[in-house]
Order: sequence, then C-alpha cells, then structure tokens
Amino acid sequence: MQRRRFALAGAVLAAAAAWSGAAHATAGMSDQVLTVVTWGGSYEESQRAAYFRKFTELKGVPIEVVRYDGGVKALREHLKENDPPHWDVIDMLMADARSACDAGLLEPFDPSILAPAPDGTPAREDFDDGAIMDCAIAQTVFSTVIAYDDRAFPGAKPQTVADFFDLEAFPGRRALRKAPVGLFEWALRAYGVPRRQIYNLLSTERGFDLALRKLDQIRPRLAWWESGAEPVRMLKEGRVAMATAYNGRVFHAQAVDNAPISVIWDSQLLDYTTWAIPKGTPQKDLAERFIRFATRTANLGDQANRISYGPARESARRRIGRHVETGVPMRPHMPTAPRHLEKAIRQDHAWYAQTEDLRWRRFEAWLDRPEDTIGRQNSPGMSTAEGKPPMDQ
Amino acid sequence: MAPFACPLEPDTFFVTLAFMPETANGSAYRILVVSLLGVVVGTAASLTAIAFVDAVLWLNQELLVSPYARIQHEQHPRLLNAATVAVPVLGGLLVGLVVRWLVTESRGLGPPDSIMAVQTRRAPPTPASGAGSTLAALLSLGCGASVGQYGPLVYLGTIFGSLAGRLNLGIRDLQAIGIGCGVAAAISTAFNAPIAGLVFAHEVILRHYSLRAFAPVTVASATGYVFANVIFERAPLFLVNFDGVEHSYEFPLFALEGVLAAGLAAAFMRLLVLSGRAARATGVPDWLRPAVAGLGLGVCGLYIPEVLGVGKETLRFATIEGAFRIDELTLILLAKIGMTALCVGFGFVGGVFSPALLIGILAGALYSMVLGNLLPVPQSGLVVYAICGMMAVTSPVIGAPLTTILIVFELTRNYDLTIAAMVAVVFSNLVAYRVFGRSLFDVQLAGRGFDLSFGRDKAILNVMRAADHMTNACTRLSPSASVGELIRRLANEGRSEAVLVDNNQRFLGVVRIQDVQQADRSTPLREIADTTGVTFDETTTIWDAMNRMRGFVGEAVPLVARDGTFRGVVPEGAVIDAYLEAIHDLRREENAAA
Repeated sequence: MQRRRFALAGAVLAAAAAWSGAAHATAGMSDQVLTVVTWGGSYEESQRAAYFRKFTELKGVPIEVVRYDGGVKALREHLKENDPPHWDVIDMLMADARSACDAGLLEPFDPSILAPAPDGTPAREDFDDGAIMDCAIAQTVFSTVIAYDDRAFPGAKPQTVADFFDLEAFPGRRALRKAPVGLFEWALRAYGVPRRQIYNLLSTERGFDLALRKLDQIRPRLAWWESGAEPVRMLKEGRVAMATAYNGRVFHAQAVDNAPISVIWDSQLLDYTTWAIPKGTPQKDLAERFIRFATRTANLGDQANRISYGPARESARRRIGRHVETGVPMRPHMPTAPRHLEKAIRQDHAWYAQTEDLRWRRFEAWLDRPEDTIGRQNSPGMSTAEGKPPMDQ
Repeated sequence: MAPFACPLEPDTFFVTLAFMPETANGSAYRILVVSLLGVVVGTAASLTAIAFVDAVLWLNQELLVSPYARIQHEQHPRLLNAATVAVPVLGGLLVGLVVRWLVTESRGLGPPDSIMAVQTRRAPPTPASGAGSTLAALLSLGCGASVGQYGPLVYLGTIFGSLAGRLNLGIRDLQAIGIGCGVAAAISTAFNAPIAGLVFAHEVILRHYSLRAFAPVTVASATGYVFANVIFERAPLFLVNFDGVEHSYEFPLFALEGVLAAGLAAAFMRLLVLSGRAARATGVPDWLRPAVAGLGLGVCGLYIPEVLGVGKETLRFATIEGAFRIDELTLILLAKIGMTALCVGFGFVGGVFSPALLIGILAGALYSMVLGNLLPVPQSGLVVYAICGMMAVTSPVIGAPLTTILIVFELTRNYDLTIAAMVAVVFSNLVAYRVFGRSLFDVQLAGRGFDLSFGRDKAILNVMRAADHMTNACTRLSPSASVGELIRRLANEGRSEAVLVDNNQRFLGVVRIQDVQQADRSTPLREIADTTGVTFDETTTIWDAMNRMRGFVGEAVPLVARDGTFRGVVPEGAVIDAYLEAIHDLRREENAAA
C-alpha cells in the first residue's frame, strides 16, 4: 500500500510565542512551557487572541505552538520518536480524535475538569450531545463549505453542491482538499442522495464507484490544496473558480480582506474541533488546566467573535455578536445558523474512524489512475476539450 | 341480532350505556370509546413498530448484515465471508426452533391471518403465538433473510387490535375495528405515510369502508404518524427529486411498464407458492428448513451482497442513473427474486412487501435503461420509471393499488410522480388480477379454504358450517317400521317427515308424509324412502347449503357424516336465518355510522 499523503506542511513549524518571555521557554525546562499543537492561520490567530495570551498572563505558563494539518499520522510519529512526548495538548478533528483514541495515542479525558457555564449549568448539560468523548472534548463546530469566486460567475451564481460538479453551467477550475474527506459525500449529494443516506451508500463499493465517477467529471479541471489557507488564496488570486474551504477561513477573507468570495452553504460538511492530550505527556495536569481554560464560556464566546466557528457549548453560543475588528454580525456566518444547519451533512465520525484505510486506498487508486481511462463516461457535465489536466501540487 | 339481546350487567356503567338504543348518548359513548381505541391501539402498534424496526437495524449492524457494518471489517474478508454464510444459517436454525416451539400454528403469522380474523370475526391466533411469530420475524430480518418487515408489523398491529377487541366495551365489530387501527398505525409508522396506513387497513384488511371503522382507524393512523414523524423523526423510506414528466408519450410507456410489472409480480408470487411446495417436497423437517434457506442465501450473498436484508441501499441506488449496468441490474433482480422465494418458501418469517418494493424498483430501473436502448426518444429520467416499477410490482402482490399510489404521494409529495405511478399501478393490477389473483394474501387464504375472490359474502358464508345449526329434534325410524307407525309418530311429534336410520345409525333416507298418502299402512318404510334428496355433511358450509337447497321441499336437511352415519338434521329455517344474519351483519357493518 502506498504511503498516505498526509498534509504535514513540510516540517512541523515550531512557532515561539512572540509575546511571552521566551527567555525561560527553553527545551530543557519543558515543565514550564505548554506545547499546543494546532492549525495555524486565522484559526490559530483567533485562539491566540481569545485564550492563549490570557492563559499565559493568568497562569504564568508560556505556550509554544506547533502547527500541523490534521490527521492522526503526525501524532503517531511524534509519539514514536519522542518518549516522553513534547506535545501536551493537540487540537484535533473529531474523527481523528476518535481514531487516535482507539489507537491508544491519547490520554483518557476526564469531564470533571470542565468549567460549568457562568449561570451554573453543569458542563455536561451545556456542551452539545456527544461533545464529551472518551479522549477528547469538542470545542468548536466548523464546516467545510464550497466557496466560489464572485468574479468568475457574473451571471447566474452556483447555489448547490451539484453546481460544483457542473462544468457546463459553471465553467472554471475547482480546488479540493487532497484527502479523502468530504469529496465522496459531495459527489453523492450531487446525485441527489439524501443527507441521511450518504454514509450508508458510501459503505458499499458501488457508492464509492459512483462518487468517483462524479469526481471524474471535474477531474480535468481539478486543483488540490493541502493546508487550510491555500483554497482561499487560490480563490483570491483567481486561480480557481470554486474551492472547498474551511468556513472560518472564508469568513476571514470576506470580512477582513473584503475578498470577492461567496459561500454555497448547501451540503456544508459539519465537524468539530476537539482538544485532546497526547498519551504520556509529563504535563497532563497543566494540559488539563489549559483545556478547562480554553473551553470556558467566556473564551469560546470570545473566539466566536473572531472567527466564524460555532462554540460547542450553548452558553458560549449566546455570546456570539459582532466581529471584533470589522463589526460584521457573526451569527449569519456560523455553520450552526439554523438556515445553514438544515442543509448540512454531519460528518459521521464512526464511519470516518472505521474507513480510514479504505478511503485512502480508494482515493489514491483514483489519483494514480491514468487520465485516459477517465473520459469513458461521456457525461454531459464533462468536456474532454477542457485542456490539460492540472498538476497535483 | 338486536342490541338488547345481550345480558345487561347493571354494575357496569359502560355496558349499560353501550346497550342503550341508538340514542345521542349511545353514539356519544361509541365515538368516545372508538376514538380512545384508535389512540391506544395506535400508540401501542406504533411504538412497538418503531422498536421492531430499530431492533432489526441493531441486529443487522451487530451481525454484519448492513453495508455500514460490513465496511468496518473490510480488512478482514474472511470474517466477513464467514459471517455472510454463518449468520443466515444460524439465524435460520433459531427461527425454525422459535416457530416450532412458540407458535402454535407452526408457521409465521402475517396479513392473511389478520384478514381471516377480521372477515370471519373469529379470534386470531393467540397473542403468545403472535409474539413468537414476531420474534421469529425479528430474527429472520435481523440475520439478513430476504423477507419483508411490513408483514410482521401488520401482524404486530393485529395483536394489539385483537387484544383491544377482547374488551367488553359493548361495541359491535370491536375486534375488526381494533385490528384495523393496529394495522393502520403500523403501516403509517413504518412508511411515514398516514393516509396510506388508513387506506391499507381498509383496502387489505377490513375490505369495506364504514364510517364507524373509518374514524378510529384514521385516529390510529394519525397517532402512528405523530410518533414516527414528530416525536421520533424517523427518516422516510425514500426521497427522490423529480421535476415532472416531460413528454406526453411517456404515459403509454408507464402503462406498458405496468403490464410488464404485472407479469413479473405474477411470476414472483407463483414462485413463492411453488417454493413453499418444493420445501415440503424436500422432506427436510419444518424446523430445519429456514437454516437450509439461510445456507443458500449466505452463499448467494458472498457473490451478490445486495440480496441480504431489506436492501435500502440498493433501493436508493436504483434511482440513480449510472449506478448499475444492465447486466448487473438483471443479475441482482433475478437473485433477489430467487432468494426471496427461497427464504419465504423455506420458512423464514417475514413479509413480501419490502422485497416486492426492491424487486419493483430494480425492474423499473431496468425497464428505463432497456427502453433507452430500444427507443431513441428522450425520457424524463430514471427516477419516474423506477418508482413506477416499484409500485406496479408491489401493488398486485399485496393487493393494494390505492395504498401504493398514496405511498408515492405521501413520500415524495410529487404530483407528477404520483400520476405516473397511478397509471402503472392500475394497469399492473388489472393484468395481475387476471393472471394470478387479487393478491398473494388472497391466494394464500384461498389455499386455506377462505376464498375472497367472489366477495366477502361468499367467503364468510363459506367458512360458516351448516353443522353448527344441527339439531337432534327429528323423527327417527328404523327401515323396517311401517307406514302406519310413521303416520302415528309424525302426528304425535307434529312433523311431516322422518329419517330412516338402521341399528348402526346409518342413514337410509327420508320419508315425507306426502310420499305415503297412497301407500298401504303395512308397507315397510325402506320401500318408500327417498334416498336421493339433499343431505349435508360436516364440512358443508352455509354457502353450499343455500345452493343445494334450491328447489328443496321439506323441513330439515339430514346431516350425514362422510362414513354414512346420521348425525342430526339442519332445519331449513336455520340455514336461511344463518344466511340472512351473515348478510345482514355485513351490510350493517359496511353502513355503520358512529
């Protein structure tokens, strides 16, 4: 089997905390530094502003940020190479946290560390159903959406996921994350499969075949992205007409940079980010204190006014207001806004955790397939005269 | 029977009210009671139906039947293959033992039993047998047998309905109304389709539309819908997008599809019947047969996993253009038909409704694809042909054209799709009725001697026995008795005819007073006896009796056992009374208001 193409963004970037007294944050005194692994970009910015800085001020512990692009593999390798690990807390997608937990890469999560809501509501009631996991706690709801460059479609605008696959009505290049996440779901939605049945159909060979056949239709015009900041950049630069992207990044581009980008909320893929503690960290207590702090109502609420990711607890959602810099009302941009929620695909974490190998195998086999076998289904959405296939970045 | 004929129990308020004549109070009581009956039976049937469906899903998941469960073990193909064969075999064994030990009738119970109980007003199989049959159905479906879940759900509704029917509430036809309520709620819950549930109960089970039954059955159906849709938010069976029939020439194509579907449905039903016969002919003991079917199913499932279980995924794929090639579709269709016949015939417990839906939708998709190759004209997409095929095959199997049309309407809320399905369903029903019969249920019932094909009257009269009206009040004489003795006895007993019986109680004929008027007083009766007249035996039904009594002159008809022994007589008046009462009951039931 081929090695997985994990998006590790080259080497892991250790970003020293610029604001903290970096002098005492040396590798040899790791008990005084908390190493937090997270995602970079505007998301990391929102975390720094909402609670990393405050944590350092209040507890006197500097935070060292390590960046990664998700997945379980990075954690597995880190644990293999470092005993005890340097990483103390990791920001993971829910499905990854579940896989990592099953693989014994994470410490068990103790829900009693969670702070209650300011009105005294116990954390267990305040957090969403399923947010408290065996090895992790869900913190924010984010989604992967299809966004498009307004300039590319001066007339009719794309509105549904089916339009993403319709090169005839909406010509232009498409960008997808180079990972078997979300694209199968969108392909089946484009056939009209109801949201509730997607994962049942994707549990069959036929479901995968159909999804890949749909993807074949846009393959000659596909570009790939790996890190979360890329798709927005591609749209801004006009290199692609439509791209999937994390909704918070798109919001940031729209609200802060005034980029001409719009979101198709149809079939947004909902997921949670979670906090988890890598197995064997010597600073488990400190890590738990950090998680308690980071998931406080005030801090999650603050973060939600900086980036359009919905807090995973009700009391924090009540604090969603206007964007701290631009004053844009945040609620309509949240993936959890009712009119967006009714069109959402909820990512099935159990299915994701169980099908990791299979998804990668099917995806990579499809990527490796020679181009000339693709054009066989002469579907109306596909024109073979679309020019050269894009290079995989 | 008049309402006053029953004994009045003064200590029971309800009963007192119940037997009041047709007054405002009486109907108010009935309205209240039957509405409550609808809610209570509807709630029980709906909740158990939801529990049943969930239990099946859970078993499918745990036993590696559902694709969702199977994909989690795709890295262990040996485990999957072993489970694919072992689960239906062991499940079949369990089903066989459950049916043998827990079901008095030693077979799965289903809609035919519900129809029989309602039409004949007899008690259905005991609730214990019903529970055993439900358990067997749960195991059958849980281990992936190619049988349907709606039959068991209908029977589940029947159990609650018949329990309610036992209550002494003083309402006529309570059992029928109760069963109607239970069945309507079960179908309403299972399909998320309350109108279809209501119509199914009338069209298939009650076989008439009276206001008295209509109201509570509607209440029960709505109750089921509330539980399924509002409280538990169950997903509907299928959701499709359809923009409308684009070309008028497609309507004849739908009609043709209906005709072809009728042929397929008839072949499918014939195969089901034959498979049952084949199973008996194999000599395999009853309790072992499901395991044998399980083996066949498991081996087939290794190569064609689509045959396992209810097949919701396949149902969905059939509405997607390009999901199947023509040869794949044909193979899966044939395999599904064969495996369903095998499972049903060899004693897995379950219905034929869901397999018919799947077979139909596959056939519809196949029709659309083949048509696309044969006729170079544009079609309005695969979906409409798939849905038409689904309903056109199902409708003759369960004998419910209105229900199937309404299911399409309620699930898709799409008028165009419903009209198209209606055309296909009507033609399918017309043809299948000629070729096979009204439904599989009716054909099965006819096999048990309850033939509804000439209407409820004949069917009901055909299960009423003349023997039940037999009396011993007759004049018996030995064949050696003389005419004089006859005249003396008849005069004493006030009769006009006597039965000749020898010492062994063998029937030797009848002598009527008008036959002996010219005869000599000393003539032995055996010389005058009429041995060619009408007689009944133990099996003679009221329907037969009425037919044989055409032109009959006399007081009573002798009832003679098959071995020639005289049992008694059935007075002509009793047969006519029984006939009139049955017909009157039917008319009254059909015209009953609140």
